[in-house]
Amino acid sequence: MSEELDITELETSELLEIMHDCLYDGMAEDVVAGVKELLRRSMSPYDTLTQGLVAGMDIVGADFRDGILFVPEVLMAAKAMKAGMAILRPLLAETGAPTIGTMVIGTVKGDIHDIGKNLVTMMMEGAGFKVVDLGINNDADKFIQAVREHQTDILGMSALLTTTMPYMKVVIQALKEAGLRDKVIVLVGGAPVNAAFAEAIQADAYCRDASVAVQTAKKLVAEKRNQVMVG
Amino acid sequence: MVDSTSQVCRVILLPVGLRGEIPQGSNLLEGARRLGVELESICGGRQTCGKCQIVVEEGHFPKHAITSAGSHLSPIEGREATYWEKRGSNGRRLACAAQALGDLLITVPEESQARKQIIAKAATQRTIEVQPAVRQLYVECDKASLDDPRGDWERLQAALARQWNLTGFSIDPLVLTTLQPALREGKSAVTVSLWQDAEVLRVQPGYAEGVYGLAIDVGSTTVAAHLCDLRTGRLLATEAMMNPQVRFGEDLMSRVSYGMMEPDGVSRMHQAIIQALNELTEKAARAAGISAKDILDVVLVGNSVMHHLTLGIDPVELGGAPFALAISGPLDLKARDMGLTAIHSTARVHLLPCIAGQNGADNMAVLLAEAPHEQDHMMLIVDIGTNAEILLGDRQQVLAASSPTGPAFEGAQITHGQRAAPGAIERVRISAENLELKFKLIGCNDEWIDDSTPAKATGICGSGIIEAIAEMFLAGIIDRDGRFVEAAAQRCWRVRFNGRTGEFILAKPNQTASGAPIVITQNDVRSVQLAKAALYAGVKLLMGRRGVDSVDQVLLAGAFGSFISPQHAMVLGLIPDCDLDKVTAVGNAAGDGARIALLNRQRRSEAAELARQVNYVSIAIEPRFQEEFVAAMALPHAVDLFPHLNQLLPGSLRQPHKERARRRLNLVKSR
Repeated sequence: MSEELDITELETSELLEIMHDCLYDGMAEDVVAGVKELLRRSMSPYDTLTQGLVAGMDIVGADFRDGILFVPEVLMAAKAMKAGMAILRPLLAETGAPTIGTMVIGTVKGDIHDIGKNLVTMMMEGAGFKVVDLGINNDADKFIQAVREHQTDILGMSALLTTTMPYMKVVIQALKEAGLRDKVIVLVGGAPVNAAFAEAIQADAYCRDASVAVQTAKKLVAEKRNQVMVG
Repeated sequence: MVDSTSQVCRVILLPVGLRGEIPQGSNLLEGARRLGVELESICGGRQTCGKCQIVVEEGHFPKHAITSAGSHLSPIEGREATYWEKRGSNGRRLACAAQALGDLLITVPEESQARKQIIAKAATQRTIEVQPAVRQLYVECDKASLDDPRGDWERLQAALARQWNLTGFSIDPLVLTTLQPALREGKSAVTVSLWQDAEVLRVQPGYAEGVYGLAIDVGSTTVAAHLCDLRTGRLLATEAMMNPQVRFGEDLMSRVSYGMMEPDGVSRMHQAIIQALNELTEKAARAAGISAKDILDVVLVGNSVMHHLTLGIDPVELGGAPFALAISGPLDLKARDMGLTAIHSTARVHLLPCIAGQNGADNMAVLLAEAPHEQDHMMLIVDIGTNAEILLGDRQQVLAASSPTGPAFEGAQITHGQRAAPGAIERVRISAENLELKFKLIGCNDEWIDDSTPAKATGICGSGIIEAIAEMFLAGIIDRDGRFVEAAAQRCWRVRFNGRTGEFILAKPNQTASGAPIVITQNDVRSVQLAKAALYAGVKLLMGRRGVDSVDQVLLAGAFGSFISPQHAMVLGLIPDCDLDKVTAVGNAAGDGARIALLNRQRRSEAAELARQVNYVSIAIEPRFQEEFVAAMALPHAVDLFPHLNQLLPGSLRQPHKERARRRLNLVKSR
């Protein structure tokens, strides 16, 4: 921060707001300091996550969606978020806090461009999801194995090329054959992908960018859990 | 009920006045094309770009004897509905989304007409040592006689050995059918056209002169042919045409995809390009005043996908990692085996080698033309297309890469983007002091158009986008992160905010063909940032590999490169810092390289050797790519300095990009 502040003297609401600003500006050290201070004030790890970090990343996400922030700024914010999460993760596990959901993500076979996918990964982590990143060039077997291995709520696939995009359909077909299709929400994205294509291959949704991915994931996971509760 | 497939709709397209019938239910974009009217389409019919807008005239038109109605098109739904929801349709339809159900009288608005593009592919002057692969030799053979049982071919072989010291050559079997008439007519004297001293391609009676060659660059958008006299090396004609494959897909990957999705896709694209090459050949021969049948040698270059499609090879493997080529080495073929029938039946075709799956024979030709491997200074060559091809090096080593810049510089993904065609804004200047703006349109006598002048701008082409964004940055309308500056809206009516997102009015309603303003939006700026960052990151990774932190010379190759202002490209951070005098456009260097290989057979072997020596770097999987990519998104760059722009950039921009301090607090206040 430009001016020196004694954060121990701040009201908690003020501290939260300043943490959101620090996240926004990608200042990892300050975010870490804020997390530590909140925990010192006996805020629960879960509340620290949602009120301190996730709420801050929501602002970043909204500004990214509106074109006010761009990839470099969002990556810096996500890095700051990650630094805060490093402190919280073990504590969250200890306290058995509820998880928002788990996502398996990767670029499809033949596609080696992963910056968009990395951005989604970071924003999803920023929103509190656990993300299993399979990296680039994944065939259907790899996706299916990962979906089985982790308690997967969402499968995310990305393709930058018109020519690699059709492989998403292959993966969805394989999910059906493995009896997993109904168990996961499938989100797709990437430059040549659009909503019509997502519908045609029977994905659950097309996400235009990382910010939309987070919103869609939150919405669909909540719907799915409600269904389970009702059903 | 009548079988609907047998029904046809009568369609008339205005203002061109073309008319014809198309099957009921056929797509209107396709249908218009079949009737000879090309509509602008950047997305290739995906209902995204909104460029193929048309108006259906309502009513009965006795002059044309049809009754036309909007309801004769399939209803608006799906993506088209979404498209108009945001903008209001004004009675327009997207041709790509509509099927013809009945007779139609259609007006194609000016901005929807795809026009002939400005083609900059003119061969430049270069010194090429003329040492062609095909040469003509006059030879006097022994006369046939009862004492000499040898065949005429054997007598010709003996004469060539005796008079020209040549042995070990063969003859194209087709030539055998003309050998005896030629010898008798020439009284045993003939002129032989010999390829690589290895094969006889033609035998003409007596003394004859005239053997020609074609150097062809098969670009994904434009195909250019240079017709040369192989004896003198003189360039006789240069002709260019649109690549007809454009109708199957605008960019390379769309075409690979077309081949994947359509059962006969590959063969259709193959036939289209072969037919185009034959037409282009005839056109060039006519322009040069020679017979196309005197063309005996062809050198073909093109990117890997064009290379494969011209050979009839399915480019599917070039559509994804690991981008495997069917063949990377050079090829010598018979023109007739490829279907190149306009030229002599025994003519030869040489294809230069490809460097890699994403760095084809066209870039090999650029390498041959600009010869970085012969330089003592560090030379950077970039050819900007949907994929930017990059060459960097000097005498010691040359590196190559390709970078996924996307189609932003071709006008796609830009709100009012278009290809370089008449009516496109190609130059932009904004005064930093009072934010006054002027621009130039393609096809308008190179005149600056200012605020007070009405005009008929149709959109912005790639060079215009680069200049507009660089000028907006220098004028303080967008900041270093590419974001619209709120305060600029107070300084200038051209800057306006839709909610929190800014846009810039480039041309006022009375300056555009459509009557709606032409704008550059925040998203347009973002698209350009992504494109330029991809290119710059690719260049930086090659520089890193080569261990240099600056380049001595930058060459902008390709048609697009000829129109870019070097200064604006540098302000944008499209290219690295360099003395501006050393940044030059080299035109169609690929075509020049092809011409070099056509006129000099040694250079063909040199190219084969070079292709093996060039170090191809697959930048997308380089560990540092993301870091470089992200740093290159700022204008001109987050870290790298541009001392050669010091005169231009305000002082605060001459230092590395500092961390942003509490921007959000300012934003909150301004909300």
